Amino acid sequence: MKLRLNKTVAMAASGALLLMAVPAIGLASTSGAAVKAKPTYTIGYEGPLSGGNQQLGLNMVFAVQLAINQANATGKLPFKLQLKTYDDQGDPTIAPTQAQAAVHNKNLVALVGPAFSGATAAAEPYYKAAHIATVSPSATRVSLATSGWNNFFRVVADDGVQGPADATYMVKKLGKNSVYVVNDGTSYGQGVASAFATQATSLGATVATATVPGTSQCQNGTASATQYSAAATQVVASGAKGMFYGGYYCDLGLFLGALQSAGYTGAIMSDDGSLSPALISSTTPASAANGVYLTCACASSTNKTFNAKYQALAHFSAANATYAPESYDATNAIINAMKSLKKVTRIGIVNALHKLTWKGMTKVIKFQKNGNISGSAIYVNQVKNGVIVQLGLE
Amino acid sequence: MTLRREFWYLFVGGVANGFLYGMVAVGYTLVYGVLRLINFAHSEIFMSGGFAGYFVMKAMIGSSVPSGFATVYLIVIGIVAGGVVGAIVATLLERVAYRPLRRRNAPKLAYLISAIGSSYFLFNLAGKEFGRYSISVPQPYVNHTVFTIFGAPVQLYYIVILIVGVVMFLGLDRVVATTKLGRGIRAVAQDAETASLMGVNIDRTIAMTFIVGGALGGAAGFLFGLGTGVVFTMGFTPALKAFTAAVLGGIGNLRGAMIGGLLLGVVESLSVVFVQAAYIDVVAFGILVAVLLIRPTGLLGERLGRAA
Repeated sequence: MKLRLNKTVAMAASGALLLMAVPAIGLASTSGAAVKAKPTYTIGYEGPLSGGNQQLGLNMVFAVQLAINQANATGKLPFKLQLKTYDDQGDPTIAPTQAQAAVHNKNLVALVGPAFSGATAAAEPYYKAAHIATVSPSATRVSLATSGWNNFFRVVADDGVQGPADATYMVKKLGKNSVYVVNDGTSYGQGVASAFATQATSLGATVATATVPGTSQCQNGTASATQYSAAATQVVASGAKGMFYGGYYCDLGLFLGALQSAGYTGAIMSDDGSLSPALISSTTPASAANGVYLTCACASSTNKTFNAKYQALAHFSAANATYAPESYDATNAIINAMKSLKKVTRIGIVNALHKLTWKGMTKVIKFQKNGNISGSAIYVNQVKNGVIVQLGLE
Repeated sequence: MTLRREFWYLFVGGVANGFLYGMVAVGYTLVYGVLRLINFAHSEIFMSGGFAGYFVMKAMIGSSVPSGFATVYLIVIGIVAGGVVGAIVATLLERVAYRPLRRRNAPKLAYLISAIGSSYFLFNLAGKEFGRYSISVPQPYVNHTVFTIFGAPVQLYYIVILIVGVVMFLGLDRVVATTKLGRGIRAVAQDAETASLMGVNIDRTIAMTFIVGGALGGAAGFLFGLGTGVVFTMGFTPALKAFTAAVLGGIGNLRGAMIGGLLLGVVESLSVVFVQAAYIDVVAFGILVAVLLIRPTGLLGERLGRAA
């Protein structure tokens, strides 16, 4: 690290004085690649590639890889791309370390992710300081867009949209006038659950709320998996006709088994964190997952070409790979921004993304000034006979 | 759900959890009795029992829906699988992580590090081999309400735990109280040196202690996994609770471990009547501290507790 810095200082001193004005890290990636052969740039991915929420990360990373492979295969780009992954396990305590590793990778010019809201909040200051554009396919916490990070972008609607839309669906469409709102104690779960509760209350429903923290069984906290039978009793005792769970699939799976045992028969709805086939495989018995509504700002991919290519790369179907289409769009948005630049720099990509208008696979990718996507919709899915089926727009 | 119904539902669930805690706590307390050390790798014995049960259930059940005699048969097979694998892992632990230290008269701190090290080794190995996500165990029955107490449903799953727990507790209690092995365990626990002078084979007794504790822990792992699913970190919280139960009952005291387990299970479950689920651990551990302040040796830990 020290040695390399000295080298660049020596290079700068030998003539290229203007390089001094460029931020130190941006300098290394551009000057180091200034040879005749096509330069290779790294696009990073940060998200959970191990731990209880690994599946969501895998969904995304194969889509990112696919987009990069396709871009390289055209041969038209003035550069080559490669992927480097940073596994934060979705954990805000691990995210900063991973972000620092990404920032110190001098060849890394932009990043898809971070995947989770809590991790994003923890990691973003490091990316901002290094002027690395981050395009998240899935971080939906509202405050992420209002934290003053001009390098922050997302191709998905935020919880401010999802929570209220879910509540409207539960109260108006399903007609549940008393709802029990549970969150898992994570910043993501709390965000979407509280938005849900506020909207449900304003629609005139009776709302009870509870925090049931994530468990060590799901590597999402330190609580014991045995708490769910107690929590389920409270849901039943409240007499609520509907329940909303703000959190992730692994803990929801444990909860669903307990709810069935406790004799709960009302509607159950959860957010995109629970939208994964792994919800069914981690629910005991699996039949307890039937009927659960799962909503998402994301759509299931219906693009046949994409689905086939994704399947070939990932060896699992794109149909249920939550956020795969968004990750594909996020990556291509970055690549399109890079194409528009004469000279690829980290800060250059940030600026180009702010100007970008491009028709992606899921939607038109055009960012608002705060990094949020312009215009969006929430889709509702339901588990039917152990399979997640997209019902359509809420 | 009325309050009374809620109370009984939680009570039954708490007793079932309590039996699981107790079965694991017995492993801690037995090893503490003979070695004066806390086997912190016991959580991984629990976990390996869970996985053993999962693989056996997966192989034998597949996609069928067993009932009647097949259910009983499968549960017995699962318990045996969990118990045998738990005993094997416990034996390996004793041989690899503890016996060499004992031979060299290592300080207690070395045992502690070796225990924690083995625990991390084992659960990370399991994570690597079996995946780092929770897997639901194929069910040997269709879980349903068998009968009700004051309107509260009692699930088949809980009944299975209750039966297995009672059988195991009574059996173990008899083994320790009446058999030659049991006398050996008690003798070593009381005074290892004198016991060896009296002709008790200490190495064998310690190895058997690990096997008995491991079998119970492994079987508990299977029963836990049956209701919750298996994952490489599944041992962490239940084993910590079981250790707490062992201390609560008086570490080193067998019946104390069982009573401590039951008490902890019921208390944390019933605490939900008064507070939210998020406070379960706060209540459970608050009670632990309170009990220890009044009885520092735990509920039944009179003789052996002093040695701690």
